[in-house]
Amino acid sequence: MKAFLTKLYIVSFMVLTLFFMVLTWNLTFGKLIEEQSRRKSDDQADSLKALADGKEEQSFKKIILEGDEKVKHYLGYRVLEEMKLEGHFHHIDYEMEPDNRSTCVECHGDIPHDAKKEIRAFGNMHSAFIACETCHVRLEGDQKTGAFKWYGRKTGEIIPSPIKEDLAPGFYHAKIIPFGVIDGKLQRIDTQSQIDFAREYQKSEKTLSDPQKAKAKKIIHKFVAEKAYVCEDCHRGKDSLLPFENLGYSKKRVDLLVSSEVVGMIRDYTKFFVPEMLHPGLSETEAKKLEKQ
Amino acid sequence: MRCKKLLKYAAGISAFVWVAVLFIFCEARAADIGNCLLCHKYPGLSRIDENGDLKLLFINESVFNNSVHANVKCEGCHPDIKKIPHENVRKVDCMLECHIIEPSSEKKFSHKDVETFLSRSVHSKIDKEGKPKKYPEDYPDCKDCHDNPLYRPLSFFKKVRPGISEIVLGRCRVCHKKDEFIFRFYNHITTRLHAIRSPKNIAEVCAKCHEDPALVARHGLSRKAVSSYAETFHGKAANYLSEGIPDCLNCHVNIGESVHQMLSHKNPESITFKDNKIKSCRMIDCHPHASAKLAKYDVHPEFDKEKSPMEYYFTAFFLILTGGTLLPLAGIMFLDLGRRLFSRKKEDKE
Amino acid sequence: MAQNYIIKVKDGKKYFLRFTVNQRLQHIILASTVIILVLTGMPLKFHGTLWASYLYEQLGGISLAPIIHRVAAVILLLLGGYHLGYLTYNFYVEEIVPLRKNGKPGLIAITKAVLRQPIIPNLKDIRDILDLLKYLFFLTDKKPLGAKYTWKEKFDYMAPFWGIVMIGSSGIVMWGQDLATKILPGEIISFALIVHSDEALLAALFLFFWHWYNVHFSTSVFPMGTVFLTGYLTEELMVEEHYEYYVEVMTKEGFENEILPPPGVSAPHAPENHEEGSPIS
Repeated sequence: MKAFLTKLYIVSFMVLTLFFMVLTWNLTFGKLIEEQSRRKSDDQADSLKALADGKEEQSFKKIILEGDEKVKHYLGYRVLEEMKLEGHFHHIDYEMEPDNRSTCVECHGDIPHDAKKEIRAFGNMHSAFIACETCHVRLEGDQKTGAFKWYGRKTGEIIPSPIKEDLAPGFYHAKIIPFGVIDGKLQRIDTQSQIDFAREYQKSEKTLSDPQKAKAKKIIHKFVAEKAYVCEDCHRGKDSLLPFENLGYSKKRVDLLVSSEVVGMIRDYTKFFVPEMLHPGLSETEAKKLEKQ
Repeated sequence: MRCKKLLKYAAGISAFVWVAVLFIFCEARAADIGNCLLCHKYPGLSRIDENGDLKLLFINESVFNNSVHANVKCEGCHPDIKKIPHENVRKVDCMLECHIIEPSSEKKFSHKDVETFLSRSVHSKIDKEGKPKKYPEDYPDCKDCHDNPLYRPLSFFKKVRPGISEIVLGRCRVCHKKDEFIFRFYNHITTRLHAIRSPKNIAEVCAKCHEDPALVARHGLSRKAVSSYAETFHGKAANYLSEGIPDCLNCHVNIGESVHQMLSHKNPESITFKDNKIKSCRMIDCHPHASAKLAKYDVHPEFDKEKSPMEYYFTAFFLILTGGTLLPLAGIMFLDLGRRLFSRKKEDKE
Repeated sequence: MAQNYIIKVKDGKKYFLRFTVNQRLQHIILASTVIILVLTGMPLKFHGTLWASYLYEQLGGISLAPIIHRVAAVILLLLGGYHLGYLTYNFYVEEIVPLRKNGKPGLIAITKAVLRQPIIPNLKDIRDILDLLKYLFFLTDKKPLGAKYTWKEKFDYMAPFWGIVMIGSSGIVMWGQDLATKILPGEIISFALIVHSDEALLAALFLFFWHWYNVHFSTSVFPMGTVFLTGYLTEELMVEEHYEYYVEVMTKEGFENEILPPPGVSAPHAPENHEEGSPIS
């Protein structure tokens, strides 16, 4: 045993020695060679200039993978680390961790609203702390329970309300998800079986035939309502879709959320700016038709 | 008579009511316009623009309040935004006059002078003859170097909290009544007593362009302006967040002048001109008694046979010495281990 | 302090004097200052890496580590000065005084005396290295028989001389840059930085790999050679490393009859001496 251990020790030390030799090579002769080869490539500075004049290469790696950098500001008393946004003047100092639960955002992203110019940013603002299903699924009849809960973005688990007195609105690291009666029991409507189905589809997408894909997509999106809930469904004094108090909002916050300030702005929006806002996704004329009905 | 009196009263009351209504209405309107944070305080307020870039419309209030612009209202920089939804929002013009009164001139404050300084500097988009330089888009605009500057009140003396002294604030309160004013003034002055950004952050700002291989190739600049700085003690200390170490600006800006007026090292008026360099070395906090020869120290060393042959051969000698010593010794070690491995086997057989 | 016996016999085992207390203290100071210098210096050389910033943070960061570095450097330089004095004194007492007794020592006589010193590299070292290579390539089973100081030890001893002179002088130049550039050209600082950092890398890698292998990690001494603390070497290691000197000392001290055979030749009574030093045999 002792002899074996010794042998093992010797062999591992031999490996270490080899590693050391590589390290030494890199730090010494390797550096000399590198300098030489770099100088040679610098000799072709003209070609570099040509590259400089042309447009930079636009690869997935360059744009998507390398574009997600962090920047650190050394303030002495703290280090402010935030997302690096080229040309962004204001500091962010808030990290939005990915929503690990939602399968919607896996395809649609966490900044999904884009169609309506006037309300896209509002939509995205809400999707930061409200699960897609909250607005885009309409539970009807027995399924509807009126219950909503928070889940942590990171864990996906249901958590107690993250709202605190000293926490700025929106800084929740959590999202609101509706609860409904599904398969005879009360549960969150993004059920595990649904998630598994969507993930399975993503995994095997490449091997599926076109009809299979279409079928899968249909099933995945089956519970998505044609007409999503709109601002006024929640931002109104009475019969709000969301039970603000149950979700942990303070009385003051609830008052603000259904105040004339917010509600009034929404009314202006619906009246003047986006008449078809209550029916996102439909064209103006279609919306008007619906309105008349 | 009575009727008349009543009428008068009625008129008076109605006028009062009207004024009151108007007043309330104006108040409400003003608040509505100013209340940008009603929406912009939410971290998720964002969209992906046509080029696929994230447009983050979120304003972190607590961080903003610790920035030098905290006193400027949103409309001060974004005057064109007057209604919701915002239409055709223009880029912010940093040269705007804003509502703040500059106390020494008692005129409206503006960054206009920066433009003048910049136009005299090596970073100007226009050359001496007033013609646009080649590749004008490569020359920096405000936001290429600046984000919203954050207060650093003598911060590098304090490790865990900003260097705000309650005792000093108390002294301010003797004469000044508004805490808001005291806080801003205190922060403004104490932040201005030193660089607003750490040397490391400054070097990073310069590196954005000066380490961009395409850009420096276009302009025939030194390829390693910042990474060579990082190889000197100055740069290494900056990397370890030293605050008392010279960054790019300390040596490249003429002493006492605006940092925006940086001159080329070929300009005899520039502090980076070969005969002037020593002036920056001799700054009172640096090497006040240095001999003129100190300026010959290469503050941008490059391991490059053509650029600095002496340094190259000198370094190469040591690299060869190191490799030439260690590699044979490591070889002997390796063989020694091998021999031990083998002789053990032999002994076991015995 | 106990008398420095050349051979100490304890529990029937023989121990051979290698280093006096004075030498051991010098070594400990040298070792600890060098370790401190490497720890506080290398993070600056490798400033871009994660380990360096972590390590530097632990050592007090940029505000403290350079001070530690300079304090350790001063101690090391003082030690270097002391050692030179120590060498000169010993040389004077042991070589010059006897020479004086025989008349006035000439330059040639003194040079000869210097070259005679056991620590000075000589032709035998080259022979030994060649013999060692033969042994390592399995061309022979005979290990070279070491003298009082083997070529490895001479290497270990001479390297700090070169190192302290190069790193120390360049460090002083950088520390006193204002003064230094009054006398010397300004470029000297650039070169001092190169010398300081590159030579330090050589020294650090040399010590922590080569030297530590020989005194620490080699299977002959693993987990640690104790001679730098006790000053005495076991008979087994003495035979393995310094056989020539071993025979000389044994003869001189009257143990002619107990001399063990050279390494590689199996001895009838060898096992009893194999207990200490090597974990395997």
